[in-house]
Amino acid sequence: MREEKNKREGRKIKIGIEGISKAFPGVKALSDVNLDIYEGEVHALCGENGAGKSTLMKILTGNYLPDQGRILLNDKPVVIRNQAHAQELGISIVYQERSLSGNLTVAENIFTNQQPHNKWGFINKKKLWEQTRLLLQTLDLAIEPNVKVADLSSGLQQMIEIAKALSRNPGILILDEPTASITESETMVLFKVIRELQKKGTSVFYISHRMEEIFQIADRISVLKDGCYQGTFTKQDTSIDEIIRLMVRRELKQARFLSQAKDEVVFEARELTGKGFSDVSFQVFRGEILAFAGLVGAGRTEVARAIFGADPAFFGSISMNGKDLKIGNPSQAIRAGIGYLPEERKEQGLFMNMSIESNIIAGTLDAAAVRSWIHNSKISKIAQIYTNKLGIKSSTVKQKVNELSGGNQQKVVLAKWLLLNPSLLIVDEPTHGVDVGAKMEIYHILHELAKAGTTIILISSELPEILTLSDRILVMRNGRIATELNKRETTEQEILAYASGIYQNTKTEKLLTN
Amino acid sequence: MKFSIKHSLSFFYLLILILNFLTSCDRNRIVEKEARQEESAVNPDEEYIMVTTAVNFPMYVNHDQAAFKRWGKRRGIKTSILGPSDWDVAAQIAVIEQIISTKPAGLLINGTDPGIAQVINKAVDAGIPTVVYDSDIPGGKHHAFLGTDWYEIGKLQGEAMAKLLNGKGKVAYLGILGMTNMEQGFKGLQDAFAKYPGIQIIGRYDDKANVEEAAHITSDLLGTHPDLAGICGFDAMSGPGIGLAIREANKAGKVKVTAVDWEPEHLQLVKDGIIQHLVGQKRELFTWYGAQFLFDMRHTVNSLSIDDIQAGVVAVPRKVDTGLIEINQSNVAQFLK
Amino acid sequence: MKRLLRDREVSLSLSIVAICIVASVTWPNIFPTFDNISQLLLNLSIDSIVAVGMMILLISGSFDLSVGSVVAFCGGLTAYLLYYQGMFPLPAILIGLAAAGLVGLLNGYLVAKAGINPMIQTLAMMGIIRGAALMISGSGIQNLPPDFNVFGQSKFLAIQSPVWIMFVVVLIFHLLVSRNIMFRKYYYIGGNEKAAVLSGINVKKLKIIAFVLTSLLAGLAGILLASRLGAALGTSGRGMELRVITAVILGGASLSGGEGKVVGALLGTVFIGVVSNIMIIARVSGYWQDIVLGIILIAAVGMDIAFNRPAGISLKTYLRNLTIS
Repeated sequence: MREEKNKREGRKIKIGIEGISKAFPGVKALSDVNLDIYEGEVHALCGENGAGKSTLMKILTGNYLPDQGRILLNDKPVVIRNQAHAQELGISIVYQERSLSGNLTVAENIFTNQQPHNKWGFINKKKLWEQTRLLLQTLDLAIEPNVKVADLSSGLQQMIEIAKALSRNPGILILDEPTASITESETMVLFKVIRELQKKGTSVFYISHRMEEIFQIADRISVLKDGCYQGTFTKQDTSIDEIIRLMVRRELKQARFLSQAKDEVVFEARELTGKGFSDVSFQVFRGEILAFAGLVGAGRTEVARAIFGADPAFFGSISMNGKDLKIGNPSQAIRAGIGYLPEERKEQGLFMNMSIESNIIAGTLDAAAVRSWIHNSKISKIAQIYTNKLGIKSSTVKQKVNELSGGNQQKVVLAKWLLLNPSLLIVDEPTHGVDVGAKMEIYHILHELAKAGTTIILISSELPEILTLSDRILVMRNGRIATELNKRETTEQEILAYASGIYQNTKTEKLLTN
Repeated sequence: MKFSIKHSLSFFYLLILILNFLTSCDRNRIVEKEARQEESAVNPDEEYIMVTTAVNFPMYVNHDQAAFKRWGKRRGIKTSILGPSDWDVAAQIAVIEQIISTKPAGLLINGTDPGIAQVINKAVDAGIPTVVYDSDIPGGKHHAFLGTDWYEIGKLQGEAMAKLLNGKGKVAYLGILGMTNMEQGFKGLQDAFAKYPGIQIIGRYDDKANVEEAAHITSDLLGTHPDLAGICGFDAMSGPGIGLAIREANKAGKVKVTAVDWEPEHLQLVKDGIIQHLVGQKRELFTWYGAQFLFDMRHTVNSLSIDDIQAGVVAVPRKVDTGLIEINQSNVAQFLK
Repeated sequence: MKRLLRDREVSLSLSIVAICIVASVTWPNIFPTFDNISQLLLNLSIDSIVAVGMMILLISGSFDLSVGSVVAFCGGLTAYLLYYQGMFPLPAILIGLAAAGLVGLLNGYLVAKAGINPMIQTLAMMGIIRGAALMISGSGIQNLPPDFNVFGQSKFLAIQSPVWIMFVVVLIFHLLVSRNIMFRKYYYIGGNEKAAVLSGINVKKLKIIAFVLTSLLAGLAGILLASRLGAALGTSGRGMELRVITAVILGGASLSGGEGKVVGALLGTVFIGVVSNIMIIARVSGYWQDIVLGIILIAAVGMDIAFNRPAGISLKTYLRNLTIS
């Protein structure tokens, strides 16, 4: 019957997943999943966090063995024993988390286990660099093979990660949230690469939260919900709304929020200059959500860290409620009423091995103490209030945060900042790696905060997010503010044009048109 | 749940097995009862314990401990050797303190540091026959001491060196700085040189009883002092370390070397003409006679009064100087096996 | 039961009790006597006091290799002031402690502010302070005045003072670390230093304080040791740093930081103390002790991995996934 179907559709099945089930104690991660990936197709896998996407991926790469079912590779059943075995079979994966060694060069990272060497085991650097250059050319990347990976932007690091996977000439390439940390223009390059691979007959299994991207790049889309297969659709036969409905079984509206901005300037930066940015001046109003848009590496995070005292500013001044501020470290910033939700949740925002309650109370231990003595019951009580308020899904507040999903983790970080009650909260990529449902909840939390009078600076690489949340948009390019845009009048295309330098200036141009 | 209990139990079981294994093999090694003779009054529980520090230091193992074990075997008496494996006097004290509460028949203590005086007194007060060997402990109430005079070691080395240098030249000193016995040795060296105004000590260097360190210091000295005439080594590792550096610098015989101890590597260096003079201790005698003293006290072999304990008499010699061995080219063949 | 065993404090206490029972049955006239137990406690009291400071440092994700040298240095300096300068005990002790605090300040400042790796910083300091100790006390200083020795030799309820001081230090720091705001912050620093900085915790200042505390406790231990022995030994505290770190890790700390309790530090040293006591009673030679302690450390950490895996996954699969991710 299978063969019949194949013939009917006229495509060769590269990998067939047949009746795969996998259970973990207390959770049925996958139940009876069937799906086929054709040769040379881009097959997208959608699902909320916890839907079983990563479990399925880990079965394909040999990290888990399925409880039931089998996998067919080129119509032959295979048992994938481990990741090295998967690579031998031609299955390569690019994980969401980085697997690069920052201190090694690009070439050494890409060819970690297969560096060209002579018979005495000495590495042939020239040949290594030549191979690397060729590979990078196919990816349209102008990076020298002997650059250290740590010196590259996170977007470029992602591309190196992909180059590493491609160095083994895989028949199937699995991409797990490949665009989560790269900018839109880098995404375009990635898509070009995917198209090239597709032409060569490589199958790409593409896992992402971003619907727009999936509909740009994928040929077919499969949906998982709670470990159950919901079906596979060709792109032409479905719509974003339908896919989302299958994923969450509820309608999501891309609401645009009403501005809560008052007329009172809360924070002002004047000619702020530091490492990676210069001459940044702006004002924010009470209750306003001001977005910083721009490509990765445009200097947005650097500005935020300088305001928060995490990195030094060389020049310029800042003031809060009209009073000049000198901030040397984050604890001074917090005392002045500034909060910063960092970009990398796991590295900078969370104490992964600690409980939810410990994370929530991290900045405000004195709230749970009487004369410097901590009352643990008070911590639990406070944490309970905030987990309820933000809808953090967990068994208890004593659960470790590393057991939570990305969205719930981000809410824990948010709770920490809500408890500190800053008058200016800077949120850096607040929905990075968060599923659609949790994303909307975070939007609502931020909007409620603004409503209550908190001023918010939003740094985001997701243009729809900026358009949904913000009142005003500053676009940064090469460490400077390229332009200021009003949400109501602008479009994704315009923002992108300023961010990538297609539109050159700014205020003069605007003044002329005015 | 069951699983975890089982696991933890098996862990303890393993631990106990290891412990039993260790104790039994140690006992089998040490208790050799077939050689029992003469004193038939030996109680099977009678046990003499030697406590040292750096328990696996080769010189201690080959001389002190070997003789002590041989004594036990010859007499058919249980002997045990305890102490930390590092040079850690505080740990040696801790071991002695814990042994006192197990009431052994006698304690043979390596006099490593004057700081052990208090614990020696504690043992004596607990009624345990206690003998110190190697270096005497001022302020200790131990019943007997066997050892050598370190001042004498230094003096003999100094005289030998002065003769080798014909009374003039620059000399360096290597040893463990801060060790009481070596400080005494240094004093003896200085006093010997006092008669020879032509000899100048250019410095004292800490080789931490480490061959590499001693070799390193020596080669630095040879480089910075081309007119260096002699080196005196005072710890067990000084000789081999100095010898190594001299051999590598091709200065055998040009720079005179005197050192302490007579381990095989020392003897070989004398034979090769790299070390000119060795002053050695008779360590075997420390522990053999030390053990015998303990036994004699326990068994009141020589009673000097009606009741020696009541009379406050200790019926063994208070202080024994076992004397020194001097080795040079002329007699080295007698020591090489 | 399983939940309880996951707690290092509980599993370690149970192990200690079990070993003590076995030892009491095997050597009924030697092991479970008041003499032996009080001697055992006395011998581990010095290490325990140092271990308390080390535990705090390990919670914050650092460690200090110079503690053994500080023990020798501080004891030597105090003895020098007493013996050669004829000082009264109290000012001599205070100067000794101040010197120890200064060493900690230097360690902390260079680690926290200058960003030197704690391993390198304290390794260098270990050598420097050991040299300074030998310079001051030379071959050791004996015959310390009786009114100084009182400090470490007097008895209360037939137990010698260092044991009581150890219990007081452990109790105070256990309360502080488990309940005090400032000390709680060390868990955050050890858990994720970057996140701690961004949560407004003054990481640098707290790190310096931890190093100073550790050094002060090592200094206290050194003075106690000198007083207890009536002599300052040039070689005291040799190898103590690794022994104490071993005890603290046995007691539930992790080298990556963020874990551990002060009581665990005490339990770790008690465990090691009991094991070495039994080895002495069993007349096992010194080098076997190092081997057995090494095996125990690996076994304890291995058990942790086994017990702390998510419920219901077999050890084999868990380890497999652990090595992959």
